[in-house]
Amino acid sequence: MNDVVAALGGIGLGDRLLTGPAALAAFSSDAQTAFQQRAIAVVVAETVGEVQAAVRVCHAAGVPFVARGSGTSLSGGSLPVEGGVLIALNRMNRVLRVDADTRTAVVEPGVINLDVTRAATPHGLYYAPDPSSQSICTIGGNIAFNSGGAHCLLHGMTSNHVLGVRVVLPDGELAELGGPSAETPGPDWTGLFCGSEGLFGIVVEATLRLMPVPEAVRTSLAVYDSLEAAGDAVAQIVRAGLLPVALEIMDALAIEAAEASVKPGYPPGATALLIVELEGERDVVDADAARLDALLTASGAREFLATEDLDERALIWKGRKAAFSAVGWLAPDYIVQDGVVPRTRLGEALVEIGRMSEESGIRVANVFHAGDGNLHPLILFDSAVPGELERAERLGGDILRLCIALGGSITGEHGVGIEKREYLPLMYAPDDLAAMRRLRDGVDPAGLANPGKMLAPEAA
Amino acid sequence: MTLVAASAADVREAVLSTDGPLLPVAGATKPALSTAQDTAATPLDVSALRGITSYDPAELTFTARAGTPVREAAAALAEHGQYLPFDPPLADAGATLGGAVAAGVSGSGAFRHGGVRDFIIGVRLVDGTGSLIAGGGQVVKNAAGFDLPKLMVGSAGRLGVLTELSFKVFPHPRATTTLSFEPLGRDAALATVARLARGPVALDALDVEPTPDGSRRILARIGGDPAALDARAVRLASYVEAPHERLAPDEETALWRDTGELRWAAPGALVARIPVTAPAIPMLDAFLAAHRAAARWTLGANAVWVAWPAELPPRELGDALAGLGLTAVALTGTGGPLLGARRGGAFAARVRGALDPDGRFAGADLA
Amino acid sequence: MRHALPMAQIGPQAEPMARAIGACVHCGFCLPSCPTYVELGEEMDSPRGRIILMKEALEGTIELEAALPHVDRCLGCLACVSACPSGVQYGELLTPFRAYAEPRRKRGVLERVQRRLVLQTLPYPRRLRLAARAARLARPVARVLPTSLATMLRLLPRELPAAQPLPHIVPAEGERRARVALLAGCAQQVLDPDITAAAIRVLARNGVEVVIPADQGCCGALASHTGAAAQARAHARATMAAFPRDVDAVITTAAGCGSGMQEYGTLLLGEPDHDDAAQFAGGVVDVCAFLAELGLREAPATRAPVTVAYQDACHLAHAQGVHSAPRQLLDAIVGVTLIEVPEAELCCGSAGTYNVEQPEIAAALGRRKAVNLSATGAHVVASGNIGCMTQISTHLSELGHDLPVLHTIQLLDRAYARTM
Ligand SMILES: Cc1cc2nc3c(=O)[nH]c(=O)nc-3n(C[C@H](O)[C@H](O)[C@H](O)COP(=O)(O)OP(=O)(O)OC[C@H]3O[C@@H](n4cnc5c(N)ncnc54)[C@H](O)[C@@H]3O)c2cc1C
Ligand code: SF4
Ligand code: SF4
Repeated sequence: MNDVVAALGGIGLGDRLLTGPAALAAFSSDAQTAFQQRAIAVVVAETVGEVQAAVRVCHAAGVPFVARGSGTSLSGGSLPVEGGVLIALNRMNRVLRVDADTRTAVVEPGVINLDVTRAATPHGLYYAPDPSSQSICTIGGNIAFNSGGAHCLLHGMTSNHVLGVRVVLPDGELAELGGPSAETPGPDWTGLFCGSEGLFGIVVEATLRLMPVPEAVRTSLAVYDSLEAAGDAVAQIVRAGLLPVALEIMDALAIEAAEASVKPGYPPGATALLIVELEGERDVVDADAARLDALLTASGAREFLATEDLDERALIWKGRKAAFSAVGWLAPDYIVQDGVVPRTRLGEALVEIGRMSEESGIRVANVFHAGDGNLHPLILFDSAVPGELERAERLGGDILRLCIALGGSITGEHGVGIEKREYLPLMYAPDDLAAMRRLRDGVDPAGLANPGKMLAPEAA
Repeated sequence: MTLVAASAADVREAVLSTDGPLLPVAGATKPALSTAQDTAATPLDVSALRGITSYDPAELTFTARAGTPVREAAAALAEHGQYLPFDPPLADAGATLGGAVAAGVSGSGAFRHGGVRDFIIGVRLVDGTGSLIAGGGQVVKNAAGFDLPKLMVGSAGRLGVLTELSFKVFPHPRATTTLSFEPLGRDAALATVARLARGPVALDALDVEPTPDGSRRILARIGGDPAALDARAVRLASYVEAPHERLAPDEETALWRDTGELRWAAPGALVARIPVTAPAIPMLDAFLAAHRAAARWTLGANAVWVAWPAELPPRELGDALAGLGLTAVALTGTGGPLLGARRGGAFAARVRGALDPDGRFAGADLA
Repeated sequence: MRHALPMAQIGPQAEPMARAIGACVHCGFCLPSCPTYVELGEEMDSPRGRIILMKEALEGTIELEAALPHVDRCLGCLACVSACPSGVQYGELLTPFRAYAEPRRKRGVLERVQRRLVLQTLPYPRRLRLAARAARLARPVARVLPTSLATMLRLLPRELPAAQPLPHIVPAEGERRARVALLAGCAQQVLDPDITAAAIRVLARNGVEVVIPADQGCCGALASHTGAAAQARAHARATMAAFPRDVDAVITTAAGCGSGMQEYGTLLLGEPDHDDAAQFAGGVVDVCAFLAELGLREAPATRAPVTVAYQDACHLAHAQGVHSAPRQLLDAIVGVTLIEVPEAELCCGSAGTYNVEQPEIAAALGRRKAVNLSATGAHVVASGNIGCMTQISTHLSELGHDLPVLHTIQLLDRAYARTM
């Protein structure tokens, strides 16, 4: 292990090779703090060459490594592995190019999601995927998890916006996948790399698709007396053939947390809130807005408002986007789940989660991407109370099993990481998993890139 | 000899029991993909793997066997006002869903919401080890496990035999209309396409067809609420400095159908699709013009369709593309499936090795 | 986040510290607003990282000395508090932690001398005057001094403005609308006495009677924010004793002092006079917040149109949550166009004694701020804290942009007097 550190010392990182106790402590988890692990060293990379050199050193020594962007993973994805090196990419944060004519941007992996849009705005363009963590999470992390966001309902996930990547494979070799075009000839290698959770190597550059800033954006906020009523409204909107960019629901507890935190000023006494956003061409938004308003009126909303004002819209979204961290106001600890159910079975899932929550005596706040059936149950507990952590984890597991039983998935956008790897076999058959392992072994025969994530270590 | 598979089990059986490489075929509408170039591969006919297995319109997703004709799926969707937004080509000619995915080629309509890769959500396939594997799922959002569905897009039957596919779909635009502009010179057309693509009017398709005198005709389609269509068409026209004609409804339907059926290409030509970006077009275009190969830009200048004259060797096209750092997916003619530069490097080779360790598929011409 | 602090061993301050640690969910939303993270890009120098380090140091899983360099680098700007969706009161962890660490840490001789020098000089107007005069003499030798001392000298103005004796009470003009007591500020009185004078004039003009307690000294904020808890408590008690209670508010014009005084409750946690301190702290209000709430009697007007870039003082915006009040006041001045500054939430690098203790980072942040400010094209920079004003104008002139940097209240005063 000291050999690796010594070898890393030889690649010219200077004080960007961190081995002190403070650094190792500060880098010992991502946003899922239930898991903690000290790396043996942290490499704060600034160039492709450094990433490559660090990976080569690890490969030569047979030492595992984990890539890290901003460490906002909610599933333990960027948790260091025992005896391994952590390669931090947050300082590779340059937007290399914005090409307005081809509507693309070329960025380093540590660029913060929102900074891509900031760089594109002067050209009338923006980067569509918008995880709630967009003010801090990196493009590299987004690619590894195929991150989504509220506006992915219409525009798709990260992988739908990544046209090409330059990657350092687990043995240090460079590969170029995809390119600047919206279409790829031959197998979609880029598509396979997206969502691979760091198991195929490290993204060192990405070509992203940009979209024109919509000329009209209209956000509606509807208040309901029950979660079911809000859910039904979603079904009606989808059935009517409208294509909102976002369809989000928050329940009473999530509203309470948001109000305690960023004070968006949601209508008081709401049991459920539905946020619907239409965007695009002026005439289209106007035409769709008329139909949407009629639908919302008919849907039994207690009240609803719609606004195109930038500040008002920002306030509506602020409450929604802060919801995860905001539950810190309600309970000392929380687990956020990320299961997906078919959107027509949302109501069923919510009722069942409510029942399970009551049964276990553990509170669950719900804020979710209703449009695509992606739940985010926030399981609230206090680890200082004996037994609560275990009950919360059990409830989390039950919710995932419920999602699978309803024909869904254990994760819509946060990735499997270390947290949900035991549940992957509930979703995929042994042959499916074996094929995934074969892919992993093919790309990384030594098993050094982020081992133990997504795929649980095989029983010996 | 052609093997025939009517079930996933048949496919497994075929993969496990065949010595030489296999190559799946269904609609045979894209012969450049379904015939191997360098090897005498055994065709495996999977067109009997047919039929929609589940479709809940409220869910906006469906699952079908890979040999299901695109036309059949489209008809089922149309009954509920839905469609395949990636607009797979050659539907009338008998293209199948599996073929559309394996080709990884979308149609003009994909300009609005994205291509095959943006709508496929689940796959089942038999890989080179003979195991039947599933990837993705049947819900629109899923980050669990490696994204096998995307890998299968463009895999040309060389990484596995697709048996079942799941897609998300969208509601069909309630009305459409198309503007056809008076031809422009190449550079003016390119600049106009860039302006339209970045402009506020959301287009369903943005194609540019060649005219006999070497000019370029821009074709732009919009769709949506019928109430807003006229105003939008007027606005769209204001972005182009050329007079336009608004096509009659049956005319526009015919135009896009013929485009998708590749009827603009001379019979016998090698039809290929070249993903590009606008800056690559002038050089490519000059080369193609010099060889009298018709070039049709599509997806807002993100791809070029080319009809390479039957009498010219495909290799010449491939070499030129390689020189430009471009790659074509050939659909008809010989010389496919890929012409020109290869992508994916060591990553591609390793993935292929993992899925087809013993070379059961005719994959040598892929990477 | 889970923790296992040895509560009893830490004492009464353990409670707020544990609360801050417990509320942190490690989401990282605070990172982009943290000046040291933005500059250094390493987790240990981020709010989230420091919370971990302080937690582990308190729990004993890392050495105190390992955590301290990173805690020392913290500007205490509290931008992380404004950014935090989870309500983490980072200041309630940082200040007690510094007090906890101070007696337990090893400091080198030079560091000790320097620290004593600063803590024994800045808060005492007469000593500061003397020091400044000495500094002027020392300027030629600054090049051979350790960077930190050199920086302190560099920031002291070449010429100090003349001391201005302060009245004890200034009556309200016209009908009296309120009665307040004003903290004159110690360093501020030496570096720029016009700020206090301007505040008095503007308050009086708006119908506020202003009491300026004669025997007031340093409020203790500087000591408190640097971990000198005993000195801070002594200053706090003296201040509380010096101030009358029969006023509507205790007004501060220096954001650092205001935030320090608003923390008296935490500072005296577990002390017999805690309740009194908490009550006193509750009555401390920044001059802009007070005026905005009261409402200006008449809108002042400048003689010519002027664009003003308002730069939040961290201890005003983040520590006291005073964000819109100064903007409202500036906006109310006829002739003023207010512009926002890029990266406004980022600290200018001044932060009390930070310039002295972390000169490199302070200078990098100062430069960054000056670049952002000059990019706005404003004629005047307004801010609400003397430390920031000094730092900003030093770095602006180093860039060759000698923009006037004024306290918000000075701008109001000048507009009223029509000297601007
Ligand atoms: C409050 C909060 C809200 C969130 N909201 C959302 C949301 O709305 N939608 C959503 O999808 N997610 C959300 N997330 C989760 C998280 O922000 C995303 O997963 C994000 O993509 C992680 O980015 P990161 O830079 O922090 O990556 P990290 O956490 O550092 O890493 C994540 C994974 O990516 C790998 N990785 C990082 N960089 C690279 C690289 N260059 N190459 C290869 N692998 C790499 C790591 O090894 C790890 O497996 C949220 C998180 C928080 C804390
Ligand atoms: S924003 Fe708040 S909760 Fe999140 S890491 Fe920072 S301090 Fe902790
Ligand atoms: S107080 Fe300022 S410098 Fe310190 S951690 Fe918070 S944001 Fe960073």
